[in-house]
Amino acid sequence: MSETISTEAFQVLLDRAGIRVKPEHMEEMRSAFMLLQAMRERVRKPRGYDAEPAHIFAPMGR
Amino acid sequence: MTALHDLTIAEAAPLLKAKKLSPVELTASYLSRIEAFDGQLNAFIRVLPEQAMAAARKAEGEIMRGDYKGPLHGVPIGLKDIYNTKGIPTTGHSALYKDHVPEEDATTTRLLAEAGTILLGKLSTWEFAIGGTSFDLPWPPAKNPWNLAHDPAGSSSGSGAAIAAGLAMGSMGTDTGGSIRGPAAWCGISGLKPTYGLVSRRGILPLSFSLDHGGPMCWTSEDCALMMEVLAQHDPLDPGSADVAKPDFAGSRQKDVKGLRIGVVRHFFESDAETDPEIKAGIEAALVTFRELGCAVTDVTLSPLSAYGDAAALISRSEAFAFHEETLMATPELYGELARQRIMMGAFIRACDYVNALRERGRLIAEIASVFESVDVLICPTMPGVAPKLGDLGNMMSRSRPSFTRVFNLTGSPALSVCSGFSTAGLPLNMQIVGRPFQDDLVLRVGSAFEKATSYRDLRPAQWAQQALAAE
Repeated sequence: MSETISTEAFQVLLDRAGIRVKPEHMEEMRSAFMLLQAMRERVRKPRGYDAEPAHIFAPMGR
Repeated sequence: MTALHDLTIAEAAPLLKAKKLSPVELTASYLSRIEAFDGQLNAFIRVLPEQAMAAARKAEGEIMRGDYKGPLHGVPIGLKDIYNTKGIPTTGHSALYKDHVPEEDATTTRLLAEAGTILLGKLSTWEFAIGGTSFDLPWPPAKNPWNLAHDPAGSSSGSGAAIAAGLAMGSMGTDTGGSIRGPAAWCGISGLKPTYGLVSRRGILPLSFSLDHGGPMCWTSEDCALMMEVLAQHDPLDPGSADVAKPDFAGSRQKDVKGLRIGVVRHFFESDAETDPEIKAGIEAALVTFRELGCAVTDVTLSPLSAYGDAAALISRSEAFAFHEETLMATPELYGELARQRIMMGAFIRACDYVNALRERGRLIAEIASVFESVDVLICPTMPGVAPKLGDLGNMMSRSRPSFTRVFNLTGSPALSVCSGFSTAGLPLNMQIVGRPFQDDLVLRVGSAFEKATSYRDLRPAQWAQQALAAE
């Protein structure tokens, strides 16, 4: 996935999500979006079938 | 003689019990300080003088009759303004909830009232516990008592500032990514994020259901333990509440830390995240203290800080957007700019990313449990630096912010911030102490041992002390 997103492409995502952003905040939001994209990429990694979501955790001794 | 506002809860409780200190006198003293100083500090959104004095008179009557309820009886406290209070506005520091008056107390609000605490008022917060230090809300942001030009951190900003300034003996904060421990760090106090499930979330405005924690903030870890003795109760009305035996907070206060094994997560602050040299020096000095107290200190290795931060951020943004989507879309103008922008980012996280973050969370919880097989507590900084100037935090959404605190929201571990000294500029340094789930008592015991072995609890914010002396 591209590490950058154009202002135009980001605007399409905003429109699709129904989000209005003031022009002066657009660049901050676009940069934050790219940071989020990087997080998504890092969290996506090979996992086994048994790597289930941590809906609960079972602490030791419980 | 110690001024009333410099008494800790542990010091005041025996005086209150012995009828040597009047809850009415104590409460009046705090209300007087709030009136004198909070105009500069902005720790309180709403002060409740009449209600507080009525509660103090009630407490005094009960104690005089011999109906002493325990160490919190007659103790003046404040609540972050996301804790529901029956008949009293609970605003979330937001225009959206400006007129929100709950019909019932949060479970924690009720437990503290039943223990005989005196509610002085509701405390400032980042908007909905996410918005950052904002200047476009109905109330101004809280300031740091150690230097009013500096930020107290958030989101429990007023809770931290009020304790450091001597405007309450105890306060309640909430912590989704560090919102108790960050303000505790920058305000130089003690703040505990309890084990997930140990303190009820019922009646606290949610930010991220699976990462939110409520917990105490006090001048000392010993005082946090006294509050936890009341707060740690199973709540059937909170689906995340754990039905477990209460940690032995009272018994733990009597024990030392000799023989405990301390694991230092050194790579967090040496290589994973840029950390202020003064913070690092404070940690090293603290480790010397712990060795002198008889602890064994070793380095441990976890996954990189970013692995925890990525999963926690994806989960928290998703859950926050799920809660706020409807009102954010319908009335965005009722949110401050920072809260609006931060919450909106959740719209861009897909369901599969959220689920993968939860799967990563499971792996990281297992990892930390494994490390705890060889150590009793972990130590690392709470914050990578001291308090910056108020307003300098800005938005910062677009910059990577490695967080030492989010790690333990993700794992649900009990995590305490304590003051580990002072910078050359006179601002508090910080240290985080983390334990196994439901060993909150041990974490507080370690924090308390450190505070008693050092002199950092003897130093109050100078400018406030001087002004207080002048006023008295």
